[in-house]
Amino acid sequence: QASDGGRALCDTLFPAVDVLLKAVGDTPIMRTKKWAVERTRTIQGLVDFIKKFLKLMASEQLFIYVNQSFAPSPDQEVGTLYECFGSDGKLVLHYCKTQAWG
Amino acid sequence: MTDDKDVLRDVWFGRIPTCFTLYQDEITEREADPYYLLLPRVSYLTLVTDKVKKHFQKVMKQEEVSEIWFEYEGTPLKWHYPIGLLFDLHASNTALPWSITVHFKKVVELLFFLKHFHCNLFLVSRVRERLLRSANFPEKDLLHCHSKDVIEAHFMACIKEADALKHKSQVINEMQKKDHKQLWMGLQNDKFEQFWAINRKLMEYPPEDNGFRYIPFRIYQATTERPFIQKLFRPIASGGQLHTLGDLLKDVCPSAITPEELNVSNGVSDFINSWLFSVPYITWMASRG
Repeated sequence: QASDGGRALCDTLFPAVDVLLKAVGDTPIMRTKKWAVERTRTIQGLVDFIKKFLKLMASEQLFIYVNQSFAPSPDQEVGTLYECFGSDGKLVLHYCKTQAWG
Repeated sequence: MTDDKDVLRDVWFGRIPTCFTLYQDEITEREADPYYLLLPRVSYLTLVTDKVKKHFQKVMKQEEVSEIWFEYEGTPLKWHYPIGLLFDLHASNTALPWSITVHFKKVVELLFFLKHFHCNLFLVSRVRERLLRSANFPEKDLLHCHSKDVIEAHFMACIKEADALKHKSQVINEMQKKDHKQLWMGLQNDKFEQFWAINRKLMEYPPEDNGFRYIPFRIYQATTERPFIQKLFRPIASGGQLHTLGDLLKDVCPSAITPEELNVSNGVSDFINSWLFSVPYITWMASRG
């Protein structure tokens, strides 16, 4: 079991986690779906990145879902979500311009 | 679970006596008295402070009112954290009542002054920029909360995340929309029975299992950079015995506990299950020993 020091070391050696982005409904699909995202990147940071990549306007809404069931808080870190909800070495996130799973 | 009802009630009805004062730089037409309120530990600041808003709005002009936010000794208070957590994190060592500063004045006066003295347009916009950044909503620290719907969405997302860990979302997904609504209304209206009629289903597990799949928990520490610790943690050890809170702390933040504290917290085996109450997570304020 990792101690505090172990986790800090882990973060240094493996600062990024693999994230797979999946579009929902008629939201534009990203040409590149798999990204290495820093553990400390927040959901809001990821939203801003996707919006920029898809050339969406800053004012447009974008929702992110984990496990096709809940929308994490904008300040939640990708690393924590990966630890708790990742599988097969990656975190799958669904993104949508409208609310998909409430 | 019925034996624990007293504990459930104690957690639900926990209150923090609080004194709200308007930020002193927000000059108003008349001075506003501080406003006193008992805050529910399990709720959210923006959900329970309508009376605070109304009180301070009485001394302000309508056009000056913008989004309310709260601060304690210079630290903006995250409304999306439960009130009890905010208190434990920032103010547990200070005397009651908890003194919170209220902000919600738009910065308009100085602009009026500058415009009337024919200031250079460039200068006006630079000063305005600086003023807006310092006196207005702290974007880097706080989420916006424009309506109660935002609080409801956040609360339900927390419930769903917790159930994803406990039951692979099976229990929350099997519920009807009206059950979800009842959870929220129970919290909003401070109705223990209404809330727990639904929440108890989220606290059950099949008899053949000995607990949830994973325990939903978050550990907040005032002293660290990262917002909180959240990891996968099974309620049952490989040998079949139930994990205690002490086991959890030893595993995820060993530096926060001394051996003496560990002995105290190695209590009843299903203590760890019985603490998953009104908030979906165990919130534990670990102070550096």
